[in-house]
Amino acid sequence: MATLIADNLTYSYSKNSKPALNKVSVEITPGTLTALVGPNGAGKSTLLKLLQGINNPDIGNITIDGQSLARNRSQVALMPQRSSMNWKFPITVEKLISLGQIKYSKSKSANPFQIKALLANPKSWVNKCCELEATMQRVGISNLANRRLDSLSGGQQQRALLAKTLMSPARILLLDEPCAALDPPAKDDFLKTVRQLADAGLSLFISSHDWGSTLNNYDQVVVLDKTVLASGTPSSIQGKLDDLNISSLKENNYCD
Amino acid sequence: MSFINSWWLIPLIITIFSGILCPAMGTVLITHRRLLQVNLISHCVLPGLALALALGIHPSIGGVISGLLGSIIAESLTNKKSENYEAVMNTMLAGMLGFGVLLIPLLGIRIDLEAVLFGDLLTANLSDLLRTIIAFLTFILLITFGYEKVVYVGLDPEGASASGINVSLLNLALSFTTALVIVSSMSAVGVILVIALLSTPTLLGLDKAQSLRIAMMRSSFFGLCISLLGFILSIVFNLSPGPAISVICVASLIIPKIGNKF
Repeated sequence: MATLIADNLTYSYSKNSKPALNKVSVEITPGTLTALVGPNGAGKSTLLKLLQGINNPDIGNITIDGQSLARNRSQVALMPQRSSMNWKFPITVEKLISLGQIKYSKSKSANPFQIKALLANPKSWVNKCCELEATMQRVGISNLANRRLDSLSGGQQQRALLAKTLMSPARILLLDEPCAALDPPAKDDFLKTVRQLADAGLSLFISSHDWGSTLNNYDQVVVLDKTVLASGTPSSIQGKLDDLNISSLKENNYCD
Repeated sequence: MSFINSWWLIPLIITIFSGILCPAMGTVLITHRRLLQVNLISHCVLPGLALALALGIHPSIGGVISGLLGSIIAESLTNKKSENYEAVMNTMLAGMLGFGVLLIPLLGIRIDLEAVLFGDLLTANLSDLLRTIIAFLTFILLITFGYEKVVYVGLDPEGASASGINVSLLNLALSFTTALVIVSSMSAVGVILVIALLSTPTLLGLDKAQSLRIAMMRSSFFGLCISLLGFILSIVFNLSPGPAISVICVASLIIPKIGNKF
């Protein structure tokens, strides 16, 4: 179990630019499904990258169970946006997922060896708690192990990415717009899967454009537009919607 | 020893090496979505060749350096989101080719421009062969020691970077090897027509391949067949090998499509 606390984060991409995030504070508690909603350019992906430790905040700090993120980076895993992946790359689903076991390391020699072993035999690094077949079964793609990535549907690609993320030892999963461009049945299936993961004790922080009834699938909702506009349970957030100046978010309601 | 002294032996060996090497390199570049960079590098080698000749350095060294420099400058001119990537690449390649053409009379040197651009395989010598073998060995080294990084960066550059892989360094190594491969192919197909040998066999080899390694092996096989066919046709019909290989590349894409319709 791990609780992540981000306190008062401010971040700019360059010295002279306006902050992409301004005094953002969030808490991700074990076993919860939290939605991070906001319009395009609200800073959702930026926040996820800070929470994973890819970028460092200008001001503020991030802790996991009271310890700095830098010392606990393996506790957090980021599932990137589907568009950031090269789906035409010649590799099987099984090998893609196995790459999720690679741990962050600044060591020049550790990672290539690990990747080499994984590509030669995807099961070479799996341990008892993160078994490859079990993970694929968990997200419902066990029948796709030997398929090429470009033969998968959008929903199957998202599931393969989720399985890759689950192969890490992380207890806190950051999912960057996993429902983008999914049709409603595929989105419902995906949300059921992540609910099961939350019920199993994982903490999931999911960025989304969704607004409306879809938010009822989550335990907590954080509304972001450079700064946190509101946070709380779905019902309490939807009650505040009219008071919030986030019209662009309502217009982006294409997932619902 | 008449076999050893045969005029066609060195061109044939170069054909075999280039036919295997170019498609394998092309497979890596296409899967990394860097084919436009190949086009850029191939157009950027000419100024280096001209300068190297004027300075009395081996032209291949100048070609590789200027190809690599052109690639680095173009990368640095694109914005972070790569929105202007294609425009910058195309401007750069046209400019560098023009610069090379201008340098030739300005420096008062003699270059067989047609041979550089379109190849002159049948007059290739031992020096050309050596250049091809060096490029071949460099590529083998890259794949032997960097295959896993090449796969991870091609598949998920952000994820690879997040797990500690130096993506910029790998891209630089790829650019260097690409420049070497292009310069080494000068005698076989020329620096312009090399694009066909880098891309066409790859399109055939990538189809349904389950891994990058399998795709590279298949592409090399197709590339070898195309190159050998071009070589034989050139000798039999007294054609220029570079253009002949390029035309066969196009035909190998079109003929299967026509065949499928009947």
